[in-house]
Amino acid sequence: MFKGKPILEVSELTVERSWETIIKDATFSIHSGDFVGIIGPNGGGKSTMLHAILGTLPMKRGSIKLFGKSIRNFKDWGKIAYVSQDAINFDHNFPVTVRELVSLGRVTKKRMGRRFKKSDWEAVDQALEYMGISDLAKKRVGHLSGGQKQRVFVAKALARDPAMIFLDEPVAGVDAHAQERFYKRLSDLNIKKGKSILIVSHDLTAVFCRMSKVICVNREVHCTDLTAETDPNHILKKAYGEHFHFVFHKHECAGVFDNE
Amino acid sequence: MSDLTLFDIPRLFEYQFFQFAIIGGIITALACSWVGLFLILRKQSMIGDGIAHTAFGGIALGLFLGINPILSALGVSVLAVFGISFMRRKGMAQSDSAIAVMLAIGFSLGLIIISLADGFNVELFSYLFGSILTIDTVDLMTVAILGLITVIFLSVFQKELLAMTFDEQDSRLMGIPVTPMSMAFDILVAVTIVLSIKVVGMILVVALMVLPGLAALQLRLSFRGTTIAAICFGGVSIFLGIIISAVYNVATSGVIVFTAAAIYIFTVLYKKLG
Repeated sequence: MFKGKPILEVSELTVERSWETIIKDATFSIHSGDFVGIIGPNGGGKSTMLHAILGTLPMKRGSIKLFGKSIRNFKDWGKIAYVSQDAINFDHNFPVTVRELVSLGRVTKKRMGRRFKKSDWEAVDQALEYMGISDLAKKRVGHLSGGQKQRVFVAKALARDPAMIFLDEPVAGVDAHAQERFYKRLSDLNIKKGKSILIVSHDLTAVFCRMSKVICVNREVHCTDLTAETDPNHILKKAYGEHFHFVFHKHECAGVFDNE
Repeated sequence: MSDLTLFDIPRLFEYQFFQFAIIGGIITALACSWVGLFLILRKQSMIGDGIAHTAFGGIALGLFLGINPILSALGVSVLAVFGISFMRRKGMAQSDSAIAVMLAIGFSLGLIIISLADGFNVELFSYLFGSILTIDTVDLMTVAILGLITVIFLSVFQKELLAMTFDEQDSRLMGIPVTPMSMAFDILVAVTIVLSIKVVGMILVVALMVLPGLAALQLRLSFRGTTIAAICFGGVSIFLGIIISAVYNVATSGVIVFTAAAIYIFTVLYKKLG
């Protein structure tokens, strides 16, 4: 299996919150072009690990390298984009249109204080078009459905043209149909645009059908490359316990997303 | 009521004091409404109120020491911003409690100075309740310079402020220096409050900052549209307030804020009925 350059290297990462160990000795690496699902039970430490990787939570021990640089010295934030768990739960009366919000994706430290150029607006319009929301550009974001809002936030992430996108449970509260289309678009982003994606998800079918790697998190962290021979139950039992059983047939993957 | 009628209004513009009042008022409206919209969206209206009351101590100190009270109010207000930030950072108090502490220190300082020095109560009254019709060239220059600083900062960093206001954590991940930018914004709030003291006084300044923004938000426009609407509402409030107060000889600051409140109520009704 071809692997690109390592873009995220986590080594012996331990994270504590309120003197409790949430993540213990996590070691794994993500390569350019990977599509990675982070799964595990609620409270298992998925979001905590993501925040530690992004440097927004301190680590107790270990090291994290993003694009070859320690997270402590990492400055090239334009290379990554993040869509938070709470992204769609903003104040719905906030006065911002879809195009205005997506344009904020172009704001970086390097471009601080500069007016947007034509190329910035072109990138914004391309992101809107790619996510299929050009027709919503002038609408206020608060007036959109949950699925539409999710696409807006991914468009915002895309507008900065990142090499890697982090998503933290982005489809929570969105209906099943919209979830399917959302995962389809993520697959396209990964395959056609070459974006590396790391997503926290509870949708095990989407993870095992679409992704190249899975990270199981339940205090301990297990990272596995997904191949045709991978047995999901073998992986899932590490995170969810021996009693857990996931009914999954590989041949179903092609038909899971009927709308494709 | 004065001897003026509505037909005399064009004649008012021939007087220098009236020209100064209109120019100073429009600059203040622009700065107040723009900063105020961010204050509302950041849910920080209280910091505006806290700084306005702290400025009282600065005004009293300036009058006592014989220096320009606007400049002393600016110094004390900026110190209060640093104090609030320091208390928050060091975990000495939550944001609202830190604001309350600075408000108490500034206001009590003002009261002590007033009691120590008799004789400037009338002058102090003009800073408490505003006296836009008496602003002179120095006042106008001060308002213009402070207004210009505010407008330039907001024009240059509007995108970054909007990003921080919408999602602070995401902004950190974009590499925006959120803490220094927040501090700069708080100082801008202090600058805006101080430049507005001559117009509406420190008691009503927060109303002038918040009401135009709240009215604009009722219209459900884009961010750009909301900003323009807030500035227009602020400008109209001050323009009408000055003219109505001149014609009917009533307190200018009261009419300005009352006009802003009337516009807000009108937009709420428009939203409900529209």
